[in-house]
Amino acid sequence: MADFVEDLDSLFDYRRVQPITIPDDGDDDNDNDCHVKTPVPSPKKRKISKHTVEIVGGDREVSQVTNDDEDWLLPPPKDSSESPKQIDEDSTIKELRLRKQELKAFTSKECLFQPKRESDSVQVALESGAEESKPHHERAKIVVSIQDKDEVKQFRVYKDEKFERLFKRYADKAKLQIESLVFMFDGDKINLTATPDSLGMDDEDIIEVLAKKN
Amino acid sequence: MSGGGIARGRLAEERKSWRKNHPHGFVARPDNAPDGSLDLMVWKCIIPGKPGTDWEGGFFPLTLHFSEDYPSKPPKCKFPQGFFHPNVYPSGTVCLSILNEDYGWRPAITVKQILVGIQDLLDQPNPADPAQTDGYQLFVQDPTEYRRRVRQQSKLYPPTL
Repeated sequence: MADFVEDLDSLFDYRRVQPITIPDDGDDDNDNDCHVKTPVPSPKKRKISKHTVEIVGGDREVSQVTNDDEDWLLPPPKDSSESPKQIDEDSTIKELRLRKQELKAFTSKECLFQPKRESDSVQVALESGAEESKPHHERAKIVVSIQDKDEVKQFRVYKDEKFERLFKRYADKAKLQIESLVFMFDGDKINLTATPDSLGMDDEDIIEVLAKKN
Repeated sequence: MSGGGIARGRLAEERKSWRKNHPHGFVARPDNAPDGSLDLMVWKCIIPGKPGTDWEGGFFPLTLHFSEDYPSKPPKCKFPQGFFHPNVYPSGTVCLSILNEDYGWRPAITVKQILVGIQDLLDQPNPADPAQTDGYQLFVQDPTEYRRRVRQQSKLYPPTL
């Protein structure tokens, strides 16, 4: 039993290392979600503004401005309207709310901290926040664990993001074809078009990955 | 449904912790009640045969039936009827010390420990406590045939992909 507990500890370290190992993914769209640090200077700006966006979006309504750099942030427009409904269907709603609050608290801390270092990013953040305030409001993230027979890896994803994206990331990293893998949650195969929300997943819930037999 | 507060509360906790941490290949989740809600008192599980044993490749369905007295009393754990194993009754009920309230059961034993314990039992039957004739006799009298039967059964329960 103790083994499993210990596994979890090492996972967190692993997650922090992950972003560096993603070479191709995430250039064209919002893949940087789990990146804790990035070596390149420009992604930093992205990251800051993204965090800020979520906060600003929550309590402010401004309208104006575009910033081409931030276009990649655009989420699907359905978010704010759909995710609350889906959450309501699930019996773990209280859990989810708590998690969401935690996440918000977390991002707001970073938000206070980072703009001090880079003042013009505040401007960028405000602008993009204004631009995107509503859609980002409900775009909550979740940490999911993917477990194969050897280890567990953790990923941060949007709760309303299709699993296809996460699974591709996983397969790329493991240097496997996504077609050769089966992802299961709670004993059921996960459809690529499902989302953490649609499966009622909680933070750190485990997805099991199996290799298809050939 | 009365008096099940403790049992259900504990089972909800078991459920929560299982979702965040469980051994690879295992499945355990409350059954669906007829009205579509979850029935916490009945869990549908899958136990994978251990790699490197004759049980490897089998994904064996197991049902846990919890009573309102859980966790004072252990759940009844059932494989399909007729499951081939010296310590499984013809009804499919698993005979294991930790699942016996008069012997090894303790309320602190988790669902995870139960399932891992049963996985261990698969490849390590206890000849001192036979529950079926077929499996027991072959195990003690004809190891070759016993292993053949085990491997045959493992093929009957392929992974459900």
